[in-house]
Parts: sequence; C-alpha cells; structure tokens
Amino acid sequence: MPVYIDISRCIGCRSCEVACQRVHGGSGHINVHFVGDHLASVPIFCHHCEEANCTIACFTGALHKEGERTAFDVEKCTGCGLCRLACPFGVVWTNKIAHKCDLCEGRDAPTCVTTCPANALSTDFELASRRARARAAQAAVNGGRR
Amino acid sequence: MIKVDASLCLGCLSCSNVCPSQNIIRTETAEKRSLHWKRCKEECDLCVEFCPAKALALVPFDEVVPEPDVSFDLVACKICGSRYATEPMLKRIESTLPANLQKDDTGLEWIRICPMCRRDVEAERAARQMVLGRSRKSP
Repeated sequence: MPVYIDISRCIGCRSCEVACQRVHGGSGHINVHFVGDHLASVPIFCHHCEEANCTIACFTGALHKEGERTAFDVEKCTGCGLCRLACPFGVVWTNKIAHKCDLCEGRDAPTCVTTCPANALSTDFELASRRARARAAQAAVNGGRR
Repeated sequence: MIKVDASLCLGCLSCSNVCPSQNIIRTETAEKRSLHWKRCKEECDLCVEFCPAKALALVPFDEVVPEPDVSFDLVACKICGSRYATEPMLKRIESTLPANLQKDDTGLEWIRICPMCRRDVEAERAARQMVLGRSRKSP
C-alpha cells in the first residue's frame, strides 16, 4: 500500500511535510519541491520500490521488504549510510541511524494522505489509475488535447 | 585492540556508531572525514561484527603499535558541488547495484550526485510531464 501522487492536484501548501514531521518526531520523510519558479510543486517521498536499492545496499538486513512496504528495523541499523547513497530518489536519510517513510506504521493511513487538503496523495491504486485513465480518455476525445 | 585494513575501510562510520565505549573518534570537516581508533582493551567485537567491509579485526593489546587512523576526501556532487560521501562508499554502491539501475533513462549517473539533487531531478522530471499536460489544456 504505497502512497500515490497526482501532481496536477498538488497546491504546494507543504501540509504533508508538517504532518509527517509531527508524526515522526521532527524528522520528516516527505519534501515538497518547487520547480521552475514555483510553476509546479512536487512532493518527493519513498516509492517503496519493488526491488529496492536501499535493501540491496543494507548489509545488516535493517531495511527489508515486508510485502509492498520497504520496512526498517531500527535494532539492526548501524548508521553506515549506504542506504542513503543507494536511493536514486534521495529519500533515505541517515543521522546516526537511518530514517525513511514507514507509511505511518500503526496508524490507519499515512498522515500525509489524510492531511493533504487537495487530495493529491492517496493509497488507493484504483483511484490513481482511474484518474490517469480519465485524463487519457479526455485527451482522446479532445483530439490530443487534455 | 583493533587492527584496521585501511584499503578496505569505506569510511562509513558504522564502527563509530556501534562502539559502546566511544573509542572510535570521527572528525568531519566540509571536505574531509577522519576516523581514529583509540587503543581499547575491551573484549567486545561489535565494531568488527558490524563493519560492512570486514576491514576490522581484533588483535592482542600492544602498547607499541600506534593507534590506527584513516581519512577520506569527501566526493563532490556533480550538480551542486556539495561534498556528500566517501569514494569507497560510492564504489561499493556501484559494485552492489545491478548495472542497469545505475543510470536513469536520461543517462544520468545518479550515484555521483547528492541525495538533495536527486530529489530535485526527480521533481523536475515529474513536473515536466505534468506541465506539458497542463499547457496542452489551454488553446
């Protein structure tokens, strides 16, 4: 159950950042990036990759796959920082020990998803795929224009 | 005490993080990372066990042997120039990841850029797609 993003809905309010920091004791795992003089805003966070580079690089097994989730076992982490360098998206941090998105383990839903006022974030693959299909269909009807 | 094989050491700070008696001292400046192993009489071998490169070994205590030191120049990010990792750590990433994952679809060697710039690159890539879609909307 990773988090899906519909970038065209993101309003750049950074509520997700604040919510994530609040839940994770000040160190957040989602960053809203502004592109092209605030033309667009894009939240960047862990993709929970199927074949995750961070789990390949982790030599103690602290980072591992648990179903769809890339899980983290704090007891096994030595803080070597190899995971941080192995992540192509730059969304694993190390500060003595590693920290990354845990999909808000123990909560009903990730706090970024429940906080986003623009419904840009969701955990529903069907919703993400339906929106993408609707946009493609609209483009077809409008002769290539969306 | 600890014997260090400097040719294997990655400079990753694992040992320094796990040492219960803080006998492994790290100093980091903007351009250099140094590690210093103080002489220790402990029988614990946590640092040996948790070294990703197997660069450490326990040897009998000897007062004559000097305390080991290693230092690394930190590698500069190819985009922003900030120094973010040691060369052996990056080499290790390059040797553990499959070759097809080491470049993105534009041919960018992302291992050689810092995590902050990786996020920027990803944001720009995603925004470019979305903005193209948006601009098609208006006549």
